Amino acid sequence: MDSLASITRLLLLAALGLAPLGVAGAAEYEASGFGEIAVPSPEKPVRAEQCVEPVEVMRRDHMKLLDHQRDETVINGERDSKYSLVGCMNCHNPASESGEVVRYEDPQHFCAECHAYASVKIDCFECHADRGLEQLQQGKLDSAPPAWNGNGAGLNSATLGHRLEVSQ
Amino acid sequence: MAAATQYSEIKTRSSGYWALLILLAAGVLIGIAGAHHMDVEGHHVSGMNNQIVWGLPHVFAIFLIVAASGALNIASLASVFAKQAYKPLARFSAILSIALLVGGLAILLLDLGRPDRLIVAMTYYNFKSIFAWNIILYSGFVVIVAAYLWLMMERRMQRWSKPAGLLAFVWRLVLTTGTGSIFGFLVARESYDTALLAPMFIIMSFAFGLAVLILLLMLSFSLDRRELDPSHLLRLRRLLGIFTASVFYFVVVFHLTKLYGTQNHGFEAFILMDGGIYTFLFWFAQIGLGNLLPLALIYTPSLQQSSKSLVLACLLVIAGAFAQLYIIIVGGQAYPLNIFPGYIVESGFYDGVVGEYAPSLWEFMLGFGGLTASLLIALLVLRVLPIMPNALSAEAQ
Amino acid sequence: MKNAAETELPQPARRGFLKGAAAAAATLVAPGIFLYRTGQAATSLDNEARWGLLIDTNALSEADVDACVSACQREHGWRAEPGSKTDAQWIRKVKLTDQETGHQKFLPMMCLHCESPPCVDVCPTGASFKRADGIVLVNKHICIGCRYCMMACPYKARSFIHETLKDQLPVAPRGKGTVESCTLCVHRVDRDGANAVPACAEAVNRGERKAILFGDLNDPQSEISRRLQELGGTRLRADMGLNPGVRYQGL
Repeated sequence: MDSLASITRLLLLAALGLAPLGVAGAAEYEASGFGEIAVPSPEKPVRAEQCVEPVEVMRRDHMKLLDHQRDETVINGERDSKYSLVGCMNCHNPASESGEVVRYEDPQHFCAECHAYASVKIDCFECHADRGLEQLQQGKLDSAPPAWNGNGAGLNSATLGHRLEVSQ
Repeated sequence: MAAATQYSEIKTRSSGYWALLILLAAGVLIGIAGAHHMDVEGHHVSGMNNQIVWGLPHVFAIFLIVAASGALNIASLASVFAKQAYKPLARFSAILSIALLVGGLAILLLDLGRPDRLIVAMTYYNFKSIFAWNIILYSGFVVIVAAYLWLMMERRMQRWSKPAGLLAFVWRLVLTTGTGSIFGFLVARESYDTALLAPMFIIMSFAFGLAVLILLLMLSFSLDRRELDPSHLLRLRRLLGIFTASVFYFVVVFHLTKLYGTQNHGFEAFILMDGGIYTFLFWFAQIGLGNLLPLALIYTPSLQQSSKSLVLACLLVIAGAFAQLYIIIVGGQAYPLNIFPGYIVESGFYDGVVGEYAPSLWEFMLGFGGLTASLLIALLVLRVLPIMPNALSAEAQ
Repeated sequence: MKNAAETELPQPARRGFLKGAAAAAATLVAPGIFLYRTGQAATSLDNEARWGLLIDTNALSEADVDACVSACQREHGWRAEPGSKTDAQWIRKVKLTDQETGHQKFLPMMCLHCESPPCVDVCPTGASFKRADGIVLVNKHICIGCRYCMMACPYKARSFIHETLKDQLPVAPRGKGTVESCTLCVHRVDRDGANAVPACAEAVNRGERKAILFGDLNDPQSEISRRLQELGGTRLRADMGLNPGVRYQGL
């Protein structure tokens, strides 16, 4: 038998099976309208002069800093680092003009614009809050448990347990 | 054997074949839809909950994974045990085992809470976890069986197919031991916690895998109008009888072991007497339909030549397999944990009560999709590779 | 308060992409052989300590146990509708009735932070892990949501997040598709060390009467060790030899 021909056929079959994925991906890209978008320049926070590292470092390595920090925190209990995600959100927490809560899916969210541009899925906010402590404390918590009395009364800096100094 | 067996791709142009492929493809799409819905909405749309954490998708997945290792048996009989009569079916046996395993693994993966973290599952290993061993065993199985298949098909390489077959045989035994041990090593639950589950899963794999193999063999031969002499079916029928009887034996020993220890009487009463759906499934579906009736069909002298009775026996073995796995997986979790012996326990978290589980449509879609994916892969590969023998003729006595 | 260890900034790597591509290739070719990591890294934690709780069931009324549960919900931002089969349960109220005497008591059940936790043994990725100080946690960054730990836990301590969540509290990040359980208020432990008071204990302890006592089981001079020496404590399912860090009195 001709095993080469068989293997070719098998590969063709596999390619045929995978083709719809490529088509679907391309369609999604077209639909997103990012085809002709300019390099994003998200709004910088007004309350802080300087991020925890220079902008170039943050742009390139923020994910490494956060990845490193998350293991330090979860495994070693290190909770005072300046590279905490809570620290990020305390500064980079835009409120929309109408004062509505800006979710991470919203292009106005600091993280969203670049991540959409680079087509990188953010895997932080399924578990972490997508905004800062102050916004959480203001009590606009549509998903808050009843135990919070509906006004965020259960939230104080002791319960929140994180330093606010980083952002102030 | 007088002449070397000739193999070829199935070439049928019958509308039945295409209709079957379209139906199976639709089944795969249904499965993807179910998985996608569960992924987006979260598992609350399934019937699974904090008491019954593994449900119908796992029944389908473990059926396919167990049947996968069993489907390889025919190839092992030829390569390892030198039973020449099974040689023509060795290729089919190997390809079917890969197809079944892939479908089962797809279900397990898509049922994860975070299926997007496949890369995490592949890069972070806790070597004390049976699950982690199984990830290695399953991916290794696909690679080894694929290599084995190639060595069988490539004429220049055929002398290597025997050692490869031995490796695949040993690997599949270890693999099913691993699958059984997922449950067998759970010391916290009375329903599991026995080394017997590992060999029991191996013998279950023999029966389930063979039943699937016989059905697909008969289906593809009749679709392609190839000659299938009754003597071959008779041999497979006898093998299925032995395997089904062995499964029955293991079930009896499993329950006798549990019945002997007083601390397990509660669990045994639950399965055998007052477990509602689980008791019904055990006596009616698993023992009645899945063990005794197929054995009667297989060994009734007047039915020996009847291929219909063989098809029915295979379908019953598969139905019984689903019942058995449902009882092991779901029933085993439904029986409450005994944290406070001597007390009546109540809580808002279903302590001390039998866990409730009503499978939802979405998880059925996912499980069903995996099953159809396996069959679709098998039927497509049969069409592009020379897997099936041109004919299984009567043998010279 | 722990000293902040100097966190080193990773060097910007120009070859990052190549390395990543090579790693991805190796992952595809041979999962688990070239590229594996375990959940446990070298630790800066105080590994002399082993944190535990001593729960005096005789000092707890039903209302006290309810207070434990709602304190935990407030602290960590979870909720459970009564009768729900899928909602979170970090801590729950258990009612025990003696089969012979009819005597009733209420106690809180949560993760017992075993010395040899079965959930850690079975976790395929190492997401379920035990900290150097004995606290058993789920590292949700690498939890794939297989629920095997829930099958293995003898105490039903864990729950699976069945729905999308929003506005989680900073001390308790939690999200759909992962497993969670009591953290022994690890954020308070990291802040206050041996003086920490978990939220459930805070809710029921009044003055010297500590119905739920937090402390270091490894320190023979700690209050929890002295009370265990004096009055003893029950390990639930002691037959399994897991040596839970949470002990009960009055059972």
